[in-house]
Amino acid sequence: MTAPNWLKIERRPVASGRTVFIISVLAILAALLVAAIFFAAYGISPIYAYYLILRGALGNMHGFSETIRRMIPLLLCGVGLTVAFRALFWNIGAEGQILMGAIAASGVALFSGLPGPLLLIAMFIAGFLAGAAWGLIPAALKAKLGLNDVITTLMLNYVAMYVVLWLVHGPWKGASMRGYAYTDMFPNAAQLPMIGSTSIHWPTLMLGFIAAVVMYILVNRTRSGFEIRVVGENPEASRFAGISQFKTTMLVMFISGGLAGFAGVGEVAGIYHRLLDPSQISMGYGFTAIIVAWLARKNPLAVIVTSFFFGILMAGGDVIKIQLRLPFQLINVFNGLIMFFLIGSELLIRYKISIRRR
Amino acid sequence: MRNRLALVGLMVLVMVASMVAVGIAAEYVPGSPLKAGFIYIGPIGDYGWSHAHDVARKAVLEQFPWLSTVYVESVPEGDAGPTIDKLINDEHCNVIFTTSFGYMDDTIAAAKKHPDVIFAHCSGFKRAPNVATYMADFYQVYYLNGLMAGALTKTGKVGYVGAFPIPEVKRHIGAFTRGVREVNPDAQVDVRWIMEWFNPAAAKEATEALIADGCDAFAFTEDSPTVVQVAGENGLLSFAHYSPMYRFSKDYCVSGELVHWDAIYADFLAKIYAGVYTAHNLANVDYWWLLGQGAVEMGAQPGMPINPAYVDKLKAVTVDDPVLGTVSVYDLIQDRIAEMSDPSMVFDPYDGPVKDRKGNVQVKAGSRMSVLQLTTMEWAVEGIIGPWPGEP
Amino acid sequence: MGWETWIIATLSRTLAYGTPLLIATLGEIFAERAGVLNLGVEGMMIMGAYSGFVIAYTTGHPWLGILVAGVVGAVFSIIHAFVSVTLKANQVVSGLALTMLGLGLAGVLGRGWEGLPLFTPIHKMTVPVLSSIPVLGPILFKGQNLVVYLTMLLVPVLWYVLFRTRIGISIRAVGESPATADSLGVNVTRIRYLCVIFGGFLAGVAGGYLSVAYRPSWTQGMTGGMGWIVIALTIFAFWNPIYGLLGSYLFAALYHLSFRLQAWVSPELLKAMPYLFAILVLIFVAQGTLKKKMGAPAALSVPYTRGEE
Repeated sequence: MTAPNWLKIERRPVASGRTVFIISVLAILAALLVAAIFFAAYGISPIYAYYLILRGALGNMHGFSETIRRMIPLLLCGVGLTVAFRALFWNIGAEGQILMGAIAASGVALFSGLPGPLLLIAMFIAGFLAGAAWGLIPAALKAKLGLNDVITTLMLNYVAMYVVLWLVHGPWKGASMRGYAYTDMFPNAAQLPMIGSTSIHWPTLMLGFIAAVVMYILVNRTRSGFEIRVVGENPEASRFAGISQFKTTMLVMFISGGLAGFAGVGEVAGIYHRLLDPSQISMGYGFTAIIVAWLARKNPLAVIVTSFFFGILMAGGDVIKIQLRLPFQLINVFNGLIMFFLIGSELLIRYKISIRRR
Repeated sequence: MRNRLALVGLMVLVMVASMVAVGIAAEYVPGSPLKAGFIYIGPIGDYGWSHAHDVARKAVLEQFPWLSTVYVESVPEGDAGPTIDKLINDEHCNVIFTTSFGYMDDTIAAAKKHPDVIFAHCSGFKRAPNVATYMADFYQVYYLNGLMAGALTKTGKVGYVGAFPIPEVKRHIGAFTRGVREVNPDAQVDVRWIMEWFNPAAAKEATEALIADGCDAFAFTEDSPTVVQVAGENGLLSFAHYSPMYRFSKDYCVSGELVHWDAIYADFLAKIYAGVYTAHNLANVDYWWLLGQGAVEMGAQPGMPINPAYVDKLKAVTVDDPVLGTVSVYDLIQDRIAEMSDPSMVFDPYDGPVKDRKGNVQVKAGSRMSVLQLTTMEWAVEGIIGPWPGEP
Repeated sequence: MGWETWIIATLSRTLAYGTPLLIATLGEIFAERAGVLNLGVEGMMIMGAYSGFVIAYTTGHPWLGILVAGVVGAVFSIIHAFVSVTLKANQVVSGLALTMLGLGLAGVLGRGWEGLPLFTPIHKMTVPVLSSIPVLGPILFKGQNLVVYLTMLLVPVLWYVLFRTRIGISIRAVGESPATADSLGVNVTRIRYLCVIFGGFLAGVAGGYLSVAYRPSWTQGMTGGMGWIVIALTIFAFWNPIYGLLGSYLFAALYHLSFRLQAWVSPELLKAMPYLFAILVLIFVAQGTLKKKMGAPAALSVPYTRGEE
């Protein structure tokens, strides 16, 4: 890039957490400034709109609950994706892994007949394993055959979607649903407890926090984590160091797929209590989680912050739809703008830009 | 420091106060201004299901000066509960319409939480003292369309592009097939499923697949005018679905089904306004509205039951009816409309004997299907070919 | 029904449905060859579909609609080029953001344009004489439109440009090793911008094709995930226009068959077939020797800064 010579651009050694935070906040503010044009165009005061959105997402228990409910799957998938991205595995397939987790949990809930608390535990284990298995397919295909991870994970999303459709329209169609494409409701023991009257299924949320901490330790403090980083940052060196690329790839996708599977369990056991149309189970969480993981700069702990932020955005979308009576697609426009500003600000984080004195 | 503490304390107080405040919703007083909230599963621009509900919302809004409305579009099933809460707490709605089957359980749960609010759930089967159910169903109109398709098909193969293999769609295909076979006993109805409510590309390729298999007239269940357009491009007949689609193929769109949700909304809201319906007496209120109640209409455009270009052709084809004798299909259609619009329901498309395509008698001679049987129908009427997931 | 009619119907549908996929895939191939991954295809396509329809509807000129659709796609893609090339931001995220922005903007702007038929679409045509050739005639020369043929012509042209011209060498060099290209005097930034914009133009055209020719009307969300298939097809095609044609047509044929074969196989599972098949073909290809020759551009999704690396 050729810059005008009155600008001085130099690489920052390592941006401090504070710098990253301040620049990110400024980027979000800039995005909101641009988005304000849309509100103004619809004749709504932008300040009033932002006040409503913030109040709607955080200002009362109800909004807060909605924010956290959206945050849960984003947190789990996001943490898993940071690990996959560290090893340079582009997992675009969290969406499918969520669905597989949901399928496995539903199977256990409806047909295992396990008693009481064992049931939920078995559902989480089955969900993790199913998500992990779905993640291991593209991992093995990449590590053994060199198949591109973007295409395999993307294609497997569709396959998972049609498997769910097949199940709810076919063998698993619920007898009590009068022919509609749902399984029967889960027994009570298979439904996750909530915090008070909110829709925050706290066991899944806890799992998300635990996952963030465990993955942070794994990536930064263990031998496996070291290998993951080497494979991601310098594949050549990893070969010389005798690190098995196959094992590392399989490990990261076992984790990434499994955590997405957890998210799927949370959605069916916490929110829907049955298996249903795939487009209703996951509202694009798998894709949004990619952004969440990236904004966290591949740091599992930081995903807690970024997933919360996207929880606010998603819950704030309700305000746009209901209170402001604006077309719901505006939510996409806002999210797109915010993302562009955030990633655009990346340059400011990596480089220090100052005006040269003559 | 102390100031800051005080500030935090104040904020907490305000939050608690606002939460308590929104928890109280007063019961609607008949004759006072009424606010209705509508929850849609899709975008209002889908030109199908949600679009039709929103057209109806605007119609009743114009009709009743005491009515105000608010709508929320593209609400995923998992968001129904919180959205209802918002409409009640923040928007102070007295009446909530939830317009998708998937909202059923959340509607019932919300009704328990807000016993003073009146709910109406579309297409479901669970009711409560403050939850009514409603549905405007097309199966009679599909049957009428089938009569025309049976008379006009040259290949004896009629195509149907279905969204999902659920009872609602199966019932419509069945009624359509009954019509086709009444006029043309050897004709078949070939079905393809696209497994989506809305996907123009899938609808197009499904139609093309049916054309390749020899079909020359088309009915469908999908939220876009694609099938009408594709049939028209190929010079083949079509029957519109849900929204006015005549203008998409003026030469080849013969008729279709149009919905008037406003008929139901107007009746329901007027009765609430008058104090007939309250939050305590809806447990048995179920609107199952058909031709007779004006909730559905035959045609590809309001006020035009049959494309004028096809009237003469339908008059030229005759059938031997055991009751009516030899009549033209056109007259048969008029008779059937009159019979089915009659409150005593002299005729029903599923009047026995009806066999499924495996040869079993599903409706005995002299009997008729109940609403429950219709809404849970899984079997395929004799004359349907093609895949039928969930066939008993 | 004889096998001939099966082949005719399948291949003729293959051309019709494969064309929009192919157009957008060709564009994405160029962007990725220059080292810029653009996951925003869905967003650019829907913007093209919207603007193409509006122009064709208001002016009555479908070709103008398609042209404007391309221009809108191109302009829209500049955002991605700026963010990922100039600002060197992460291309995966930027592409996802572009998809969101496109779906959102087209949805907002497209309000009120639904339910309108386009009376002046690009019509199907039947080529006289040629269409009476047995089997081939009905497939190639009956019921297709001009866009289908133009797209087919574009494939060898773009192949030639990419592999046999100076500019093609520059593009590939920028995608393989921008530092080397830079040292040889190639303007990396300019090439990347141009390729992304060209990709955006073709994605827009593909969207316009959908709303002006394939199914002449506008509904929001009408691209229905085709942009994601394009991403997959680009990889599937090993970044080669010729294989792009094969991949797009193969996918389209399977898509058609997923409706055609429903009488025998469960429709839900059948609809998963094209996606599974894509993976299976890749596995099959990976067994062979083709693999080494056809990797991804080495610098794909890596931003370039002079003096680093």
